[in-house]
Formats: sequence, structure tokens, C-alpha cells
Amino acid sequence: MSGAPAIAVERLAKVFGGLRAVDDVSLSVEAGERRVLIGPNGAGKTTLFHCIAGTQQATHGSVWMFGTNITTLAEHRRTGLGMGRTFQISNVCTDLTVMENLTLAMLGTDRRKWVMYKSARVFAGLRDRGSAELSRVGLQGRADETVKFLSYGERRQLELALALASNPKVVLLDEPCAGLSPSERQRFSGLIRELPRDITLVMIEHDIDIALALADRVTVLHRGNIIFEGTPGKVQTNAQVREVYFGRV
Amino acid sequence: MAPRAALTIALIAIAFCAPLFASEFWVTLLMQIMIFGLLALSTDLLLGQAGLFSLCHAAFFALSAYTVAILQVRHGFGTALAAPIGILAGTALAFVFASAVRTRGVYFILITLAFGYIVWGVAYRWASFTGGDNGVTGVPFPSLGSLRVASTTDYYYVVLSVVLVVAAAYRVLVTSPFGLALRGIKSSESRMRSLGYNVGQHLYVAFVLSGLIASIAGVLYVYFNRFVNPTAASFPISVEAVLMTIVGGTGTILGPFLGSGIILVLRNWASGYFHYYTAVLGVVFIVTVLWAPQGIMGLLARWRSGNRGEGA
Repeated sequence: MSGAPAIAVERLAKVFGGLRAVDDVSLSVEAGERRVLIGPNGAGKTTLFHCIAGTQQATHGSVWMFGTNITTLAEHRRTGLGMGRTFQISNVCTDLTVMENLTLAMLGTDRRKWVMYKSARVFAGLRDRGSAELSRVGLQGRADETVKFLSYGERRQLELALALASNPKVVLLDEPCAGLSPSERQRFSGLIRELPRDITLVMIEHDIDIALALADRVTVLHRGNIIFEGTPGKVQTNAQVREVYFGRV
Repeated sequence: MAPRAALTIALIAIAFCAPLFASEFWVTLLMQIMIFGLLALSTDLLLGQAGLFSLCHAAFFALSAYTVAILQVRHGFGTALAAPIGILAGTALAFVFASAVRTRGVYFILITLAFGYIVWGVAYRWASFTGGDNGVTGVPFPSLGSLRVASTTDYYYVVLSVVLVVAAAYRVLVTSPFGLALRGIKSSESRMRSLGYNVGQHLYVAFVLSGLIASIAGVLYVYFNRFVNPTAASFPISVEAVLMTIVGGTGTILGPFLGSGIILVLRNWASGYFHYYTAVLGVVFIVTVLWAPQGIMGLLARWRSGNRGEGA
């Protein structure tokens, strides 16, 4: 399957009653690429994102990951195939500690998640690996804090750590910087930029500066259709994009 | 966690010594507290760990009790066969009823409620097999070969040992990756799915394990009671099991037993004075929900942490 795109979407449509939220969209993200989806409100970014992540299923068309058809695959099976994701609104297990969250993430794609006869704390190497993952996102020293006592920014960092803990090949980031202060945004987009280049990133981001700084290629959606796809440099000069996106908002 | 460990050890020590100084009334009551505490613990695997409110645990409890009673009384089975078959029967029923995990929230409560009523209806109406209202009487004390339970005190130690073993196994279960995953599901199902967990499968297995524990409690109950009738399968048993857990504290092991103790002692005391002791239980429950939603264990934790300002 080498050479197959990391994520391929073919003629995908998602219909809610009379609304075509996504209308005949095709796109292809190469392995290792960083793709940002942008577009005004109601463009269909989030719906497209959900169809790729498996939270929603496409009405028509198909979704492929490294040559495997995942259109109707359950969300947890996509994770097993090497997909990780973050949520637009922080979604972490707030009643558990940081390390417990991370343990769940590390075991999610591991058969040992079914072990019932010994404590999760005694698995060899798990805590060390967890600590390394926490340092990667800047949460070192917070391992034993209950998540509900973390700040919103720290939860975003944990969210990223959870998405990375299963060593995914593709990571979907749904507005990773939403709800963060400007300085936090800088730091957080830095974290994303520093991720290994062999991880394919597909993200929605509303902050245009951050989006353009992180992206290899940008896809602009408008009313359920792709109106532009290209490098960050070209997106700013495209007349149609300027009209629907930068012109209004 | 040292104070909790100390409390646990103290309670176990008291439980071991109780027959030496307590009257038969209290020994019997303690046995009852342990048996219903175990049933309450079984509901807490779903409520306290996975966040599912089940109202059908009397079904597994009663089915295993009936199975043991019918096999021993009518078919002359010994305890060595009847007890495991009883546990198996209750667990098998849990396999079927576990389909309820396809639903959540109020729908889960309603479907388990309906399941519970089915079993109660069968126990009550299929009189030719279950003995109807009278149930099955004449269950002997358990015996294993030459080991025979000959007195209330003997059986008390059997109950205590079984409860301790199950509680110890339960403790390992809830700290295991499987138990941690259940708490993760309680906290955020969507997050757990995106981490690679088949949430439905985890909840299904949790439900069956919960039914297994309820079935063990049912076997202990039938040898304690020496008969079984449809009351064992009735709605109040299912509700009280959950209430005991909530009063004692969900998500803990000691909580369901403390809750069982409070409710059963209160019932024994109050029913001597009031005709409507269930009203007293109602008040206890209301007070718990309003002022101590985390139950007694929650109060103890709050008292210990003093004014650290951590929410309940």
C-alpha cells in the first residue's frame, strides 16, 4: 500500500435532511503532509472532519486511509489502523488523573486493555512512556493531577498527548488552538509544528495566521464544496477565496 | 489512603470477632448486611465505575437463588454442584440482559426495570415450577463432602470468607486496565472511542461481571434464608441494592457494605416502631442525595481533606 495517500476522500457527501453540509468533495492528503481545512462558518469543514474521523458517516462517497476503505469503519477501529484525533472542545476524562488518561490512550490500541487480573499501574514501562509523552507536550510533573484541576490550556496539551500516545500515522486536529489566549496559541502551534514529520496532520483551524504557518497545503471549503486547494502562499492571492473568505467572515 | 485502609481492617476485624461477643440476632443481621452489601457492590460495578444505573440486579440474585433451591430441594443436588450451577444460571441471564448496554441514561434504567419485572413475573406466576408465592422451602445448610455448615455461626464465616474473596478480586478488577477503561467510559465515551475502545463491548463485559457478583450474592442468600420466594426477584430488592451503594458511596468497595449496614439496621430498628419504615428509608435517601451525594465514603473523604477546597 506504499504510495497510497494517507487520507483520501472520494466524492463525499453528507446530507442532513434537506441540507447538503458536504456536497461532492474529493481530496487527497499525502503521507507526511500537513493539511489545513479552512472556510467560513457553515462551509462543511467540521462535517467533513467528522466523516474522516468516523464520528459521522458519509451519505455518499468514500474515505480511504493508506489505501484501506474506512468509510463505514467504526471510530475505534480507525484508531486501531493508526488514526488519532483531538476534539474542538476539550474532551478528556476529567475525573481521572493525567497519567490515567494517558494510560488509557496507550492501551487503547493494545490487547492489554482487556487485562482484569492486575493493576494498570504495574505494567512495565507504561509509566515511563507516559512521562515521555507528557514532556513532549509540556505537561511534565502534572502526571498525578486530576484532570478537572487542569487549566483549559493544559487540557489542550493533554488532548494532544492522548492523540499521539498510540503512535498514530495520521492525526486529525479539530481547531487545536480554539479557546486559547494569543500567547498560548503561539506555544501550542509551536508544539504542533515540532511534531515528527512522518505524522500526517489534517486540521481545521480558524486562526488564519496559525493555519497558514502550519500548513503544507490548504483546502478552502465553501458551502459544502472545495473552492481552492494549494499552498499557503497561493491561498492568500486567490480571488475567489478572498471573496468568500477574507472578504466577509 | 491510609485512613480508608485502617477503617477496612477495623471492620474486617470486627466482622471476624463478632460471633464471639454478639448475640445471634446481630450475627444474623451482619450476615444479611454482607450478603446485600455484595449485591450492592455488584450494582456499583455498573453505577460507580461505568456510570450505568441498573434496576434489574434482583433478577440475577433471584435466579441463582432459585436454581440452587430447586436443585437441592427437588433434585437432591449437593452444594458442590448446586452452587456453581446457580452462579452460572444467574450469569447466563446477565449475558442476555447485558443487551441493555445498547442504551444509555433513562432508557437503560427503563429497560433494566422491564427485565427485572420479567423475572419477578415468572417467579410469581409460574407456580408449578417456582412454587409461586410460597417459593421453594426447605433449603438445607450447605455442605462440601465431610465439611458441613452446622450452625448460624459456621455459615457466618462462610459468608464472610466469600465476601472477602469477592471484594478482593473486585479491588483488583477496578484497578486493572479494564476497570480504568470503565471509569474512562463513565467520564467520556466519545473520547474513549477515539482512543480505540469498543465502548459497547467493554460495557457488555462489565454488565456480565456485575451479574456474576449478584449471582454469588444470590447463592449466599438462599443458604442464609433457607427458602426463596418471589420477593428475592422483586423491584424493591433491585432498588435497595442501588440505594445502599449511593448511601454508602459509589465507586468505592466499602461504600456498598456501609450502605447495606445503614439501611438494614435502620429497617430492623424502625420497623419495630413504625409501620411505614420504608418512609424512613425514603428520608435517608433524600438526605443523602441532597447533602452527601458521594455517600458516607464521600463524607469521610471530605472530612479528611478538610478545607482543601476540592469539590465533592
